[in-house]
Amino acid sequence: MKRIIRTLLVASLTLSFAAAISAGGQSYKPPRTSEGLPDLQGIWEAHNAADADIQKFLVGGGTLPYTPEAAKQKAENAKNAKKADPLAQCFLAGVPRTMYLHHPFQLFEGTGYALVTSEYAHTFRYVPMDGRPHIMGLDSWMGDARGKWDGDTLLVDTTDFGDRTWFDSVGNFHSSDLHVIERFTRTGPDVLTYEATIEDPKTFTKPFTIRMTLNRHTEKNFQILEYECYAI
Amino acid sequence: MRFDSRTKDKRFLAAILFFVVLLTLVPMAALHAQQAARGRGGPPAGPVKRRPDGKPDISGYYNSPNAGGAAFNIEPGPPAVGQPATQGAITDPPDKLIPYTPAAKAKRDDLLAHHLYDDPEAHCLPSGIPRQTYAPFGWQILQPDGYIVMLYEAFHAYRILPLDGRPHVAKGVKFWEGDGRARWDGDTLVIDTTNQTGKTWFDMAGNFTTETLHVVEKFTPIDSNTMNWEATMDDPAVYTRPWTISARITKNNSPNYQILEFACHEGEQDLIHYTQEEGNKNGPKAQKK
Repeated sequence: MKRIIRTLLVASLTLSFAAAISAGGQSYKPPRTSEGLPDLQGIWEAHNAADADIQKFLVGGGTLPYTPEAAKQKAENAKNAKKADPLAQCFLAGVPRTMYLHHPFQLFEGTGYALVTSEYAHTFRYVPMDGRPHIMGLDSWMGDARGKWDGDTLLVDTTDFGDRTWFDSVGNFHSSDLHVIERFTRTGPDVLTYEATIEDPKTFTKPFTIRMTLNRHTEKNFQILEYECYAI
Repeated sequence: MRFDSRTKDKRFLAAILFFVVLLTLVPMAALHAQQAARGRGGPPAGPVKRRPDGKPDISGYYNSPNAGGAAFNIEPGPPAVGQPATQGAITDPPDKLIPYTPAAKAKRDDLLAHHLYDDPEAHCLPSGIPRQTYAPFGWQILQPDGYIVMLYEAFHAYRILPLDGRPHVAKGVKFWEGDGRARWDGDTLVIDTTNQTGKTWFDMAGNFTTETLHVVEKFTPIDSNTMNWEATMDDPAVYTRPWTISARITKNNSPNYQILEFACHEGEQDLIHYTQEEGNKNGPKAQKK
């Protein structure tokens, strides 16, 4: 009798466990840092073609919601992309483009901050997470970032952009009214789901979101190297 | 005096131009003035803070140390127009001069006299180690798990320094900011840097490096607001003995301070001010006095 009860118990536990796993296919629980934060740290890289055209990564598919005037500008950019791409002059890549260039970045966390250090042009994005407001009024390449945790997801809100960066190498662009909200969610030990919602009422008729996965470098002693684009 | 007055004036003119242009170039300078006007604020110095693992907590914002005017000249230099004398940052050897081999000294003198235009910083190239520490503008130390990370406003440079004891990368790999490895020796943070490019300078006075440069830095916290910094340079290719520079590094506790963006290459308008005599073929001719 005891054995039957135990067998039933084990069976029901196993079943409920399996149900939990299948219901929460995306419910990977990241480990914690020494400070108890969700641990998204590591060296990550996009192995995809987002930099070749972000439109293919649009959540819900379709085309980027350009205003008619901006659509003309986009077409113009695309025609001259080889020369007009800011990266052709080794300029800073901006946001979100920096996150899916074919160069790794390292994500660090601590109480009150997150930090992204990317290999391309030794760019860093320091993300205060202490509730301070945006600076507002800067004209910067990489923007002014503020972060917070939404459960185990790192949320980064970035403003204060100039209008000289592109989203990719085919001329998708923005104005200085750009506002980017990024979501970093570790959906597996070596997988980061990256989302960026882009708002720019001067350029787009409505906000849109791109989504992709980034992969963690697990090679022993892997480290960020230097890509000093203009240091010939 | 090792420099004739013509060279000296030219050198400082170039230095002043560089800084004036740099300041007008960087739109964030005004913001920093605002931040500074809000007052240094912050707590008075107390004992060195500790992390849960007992190591010193040195995280925070720091001011760029003056280091005896090392950003201009790491050696003692004479006063010049609009510029006080540099005392230099060298604490060993006692004569405060870099112990160059004769050939290396001849190269430095030539760079100083004819090639100031080639200062890598003027071309927005990364500063290298140890120059990064006394490059102008503020910087920041972070201590995430397993690393020391240093972020600099100047040239938006950063250093990622693993604490896990891993070896340096292979000899042939060269980095502008070198390959740094950190460890704690008691309360002193020791950073060992190799694999530099040999293309960086120590200052704006032609003191150059080679790719066999080996730098050992020691950051020793004195109290919660102050560190002593020392860097010892060894490079048998150009020095007759190792030599050391040091500086006092203080925290910047201004409320809500943050490092702003120094997009140097994107807005570079400075090089044209270097004269033909300093190596810029397209620059103006030096003014005759």
